[in-house]
Amino acid sequence: MKNILVVDDSATMRRMVMASLRTLTEVAFHEAANGLEAIERLALAPIDLMTLDLNMPDMHGLEVVKFVRRHPMYERIPVIVLTTRSDEDSRGTALTGGASLYLTKPFDPAVLASRVREFMNLP
Amino acid sequence: MALDEPIHGPFAEFLDDYFVECEEHLGVARRSLLALEPSVGQPNPDRLLLDELFRCFHSIKGLSAMVDVRAAEQLAHQMESYLSALRKRQILTTSGLESLIAGVIMMEQVIAARRAGASPPDIASLLHRFSALASLEEGSPSCAPVDEPTLPEPEIGPLRPGESVWQFTFAPTPELAARGVNVNTVRERLQAVGEVVQAIPLLHVAGRIAFRFVVRSNAAESSFAVWERDSIHYEPYASTSKAGDALVESALPSDTEQRPAAPVPVSPLGGSNLVRVDLSRLDELMRMVGELVISRAHLDDTLKRASSAMQPADWRTLQDTNLALERQLRDLREGVMRVRMVPVREVFARMQFVVRDLTRESGKKVALELSGQDTEIDKFVVERMMDPLLHLVRNAVSHGLETSSDRAASGKSPEGHLSLRASTTGETILIEVEDDGRGIDAERVFARARTLGLVAAETAPTASLLDVLCAAGFSTRDVADRASGRGVGMAVVRTAVEELGGSLALDTTVGRGTRFTIQLPLTLAIADALIVEIAGQRYAVPQVSIREVIRIEDAELTVLENNEVLYYRGGVLPLMRLSEYFGLDSAAQQVRYALVTGEGLRAVGLAVDRVLGLREVVVRPLTDPLVRVSGIAGATELGDGHAVLILDASGLARSSRQSGKRDNLRLNALASPALATAR
Repeated sequence: MKNILVVDDSATMRRMVMASLRTLTEVAFHEAANGLEAIERLALAPIDLMTLDLNMPDMHGLEVVKFVRRHPMYERIPVIVLTTRSDEDSRGTALTGGASLYLTKPFDPAVLASRVREFMNLP
Repeated sequence: MALDEPIHGPFAEFLDDYFVECEEHLGVARRSLLALEPSVGQPNPDRLLLDELFRCFHSIKGLSAMVDVRAAEQLAHQMESYLSALRKRQILTTSGLESLIAGVIMMEQVIAARRAGASPPDIASLLHRFSALASLEEGSPSCAPVDEPTLPEPEIGPLRPGESVWQFTFAPTPELAARGVNVNTVRERLQAVGEVVQAIPLLHVAGRIAFRFVVRSNAAESSFAVWERDSIHYEPYASTSKAGDALVESALPSDTEQRPAAPVPVSPLGGSNLVRVDLSRLDELMRMVGELVISRAHLDDTLKRASSAMQPADWRTLQDTNLALERQLRDLREGVMRVRMVPVREVFARMQFVVRDLTRESGKKVALELSGQDTEIDKFVVERMMDPLLHLVRNAVSHGLETSSDRAASGKSPEGHLSLRASTTGETILIEVEDDGRGIDAERVFARARTLGLVAAETAPTASLLDVLCAAGFSTRDVADRASGRGVGMAVVRTAVEELGGSLALDTTVGRGTRFTIQLPLTLAIADALIVEIAGQRYAVPQVSIREVIRIEDAELTVLENNEVLYYRGGVLPLMRLSEYFGLDSAAQQVRYALVTGEGLRAVGLAVDRVLGLREVVVRPLTDPLVRVSGIAGATELGDGHAVLILDASGLARSSRQSGKRDNLRLNALASPALATAR
């Protein structure tokens, strides 16, 4: 069983992400609605991959990425940044900051699912 | 997937969630904008409010993109860009605030159009307005880059007397999380004792995750000392690290988990306490409570019949239990009802917003007073009251209140007053919309109504002003203006109120002001009803719609213009024979009572043969369009297992006025299929 952490302050958006990934089998979803909660989730469950929104109330998504990359236990976790139009300028910052992939909303659910499969070596 | 749903895209199933979430964001946006108003023209508008607004539109933008509501996405994008420019260094101008308000109102319309499946309104000019606003600030690009995230030293600011700064650390564990102690609840606890000036994650030396919170608080140390057992450690704050070092700081005491975990009561702040529930689930719950009410009524009837066959002591015990059950059921019913209730605050905030927009357009000065914002109303009712209230508020601002100069000329304060009040009285809710404007000139209204042919010349003196205003097709304006000419006349307002089982009243004095009062029942699903008999059949009539029950003596009946009328309180009351209306066999004609319903000119006496009693009934709407009949609101089941129809008193009063075209229905034939549908 693989664990995917879906981070977004919008509950609807989290459900959309999970719906996009429902074709994956043997996967459990965890959710977080803000940056600190996302980081806490890492300590509470063996997370294998994270999808991450950038604009959150307490902590910017880029801070979350940077934190994850600096932490010896979590530095290898693939982080897929899902963000909204006009944040394109931050694509470079996000990728140099450690994001594994940068997708813009609206994302294609099939593309998200296939990239997640690749990252997690799922069939 | 995309092929299956070529029109709505892959996320169409989330449309309902989208509408709900947008509504929440727009609610926050309205409140933030109103809170920002005082900082117009001031440097550095409240950063937290701007952040909040920014996030609202950012979220709406993202969600709109996902469900392919392009107009909303574009609009949110422009508003967000402008807010982002504003966050940098700008002064919020009046035109900026007004554009944001117009943006929220337009966003509502765009989303409402999507919901109704209509084409979106034209947003081009508004988009242009925002890009012009953003470009006013030289050098700020229309697509503002995201702020570079930073982890600064906390800005603590000057301390108030009695305040100290504390540093808390918390390391989450699965055990703590299972007890409801997690980073969110810890943050909430800290927010409750003071101001959290910083909240950051720490890289612990042992590779474990921990969080640091810097809090300024005037609470006594003892109030958070007890949190030690939840692994929330604290110490006086000392500015030790340079910016950037925070991430690698080690701040946890070494013996964190060695302490014995004392049994800890569940924190009152444990987690978010809000649950979002689909209204249809609550309807279902209410339906089940309704079943219980019917079963208990059944028990009640059986008990009454059994009283003679039982030992008095046994019977009394059973009866006590029965009565306790009744009380408990009422409590249960109220509990379920409370879950459906939402504070009227959100509706009022929206009105506040609309008033703000209208005053800008009309150039009038209006002070809006709100009271009873915590009054709770059924969610279903709230949604249906929104448009009528908007109409009353728009009318008050555009017709009721005068311009400042007119007010000054008549010796009033230059600022008009508009009050929105909500309150509950027993089983009903009152909403009042009152202004201190010019009042409604009855003579002018009647003259106008006569011109339009809505009122015959001779009936004018007795007709109520409200009846004329609510007559379909009535308007005092020859040319509809934007504020009030939207086709939602007073007729629609009254119909909406009456469809909810409520009533509308008007109180106006020329030169002094106008007050509209809306009275609504607290719940729609279960009601106290009078059980009456007409031509040998029983019917239920919701008590809230009946003003009075009067006994009819044959001598009091007079025939006037082919209508039977009754002398009543110094006037005449048209009598409506329900047996005739429904086409029932009523050879006996033993009408003995009239149920008085409706106000003023619309008051009608509904003639019934007998009044059998008062009962709590469960209202089941008749949903099948084939059995929908005017005058019938639904059906219910009495405790003895018999089904009866529920009369729609205000609907009957309405059709009594158009007595020329009475439906001649064979109600006998209707009863059985109707009830089959209702169950």
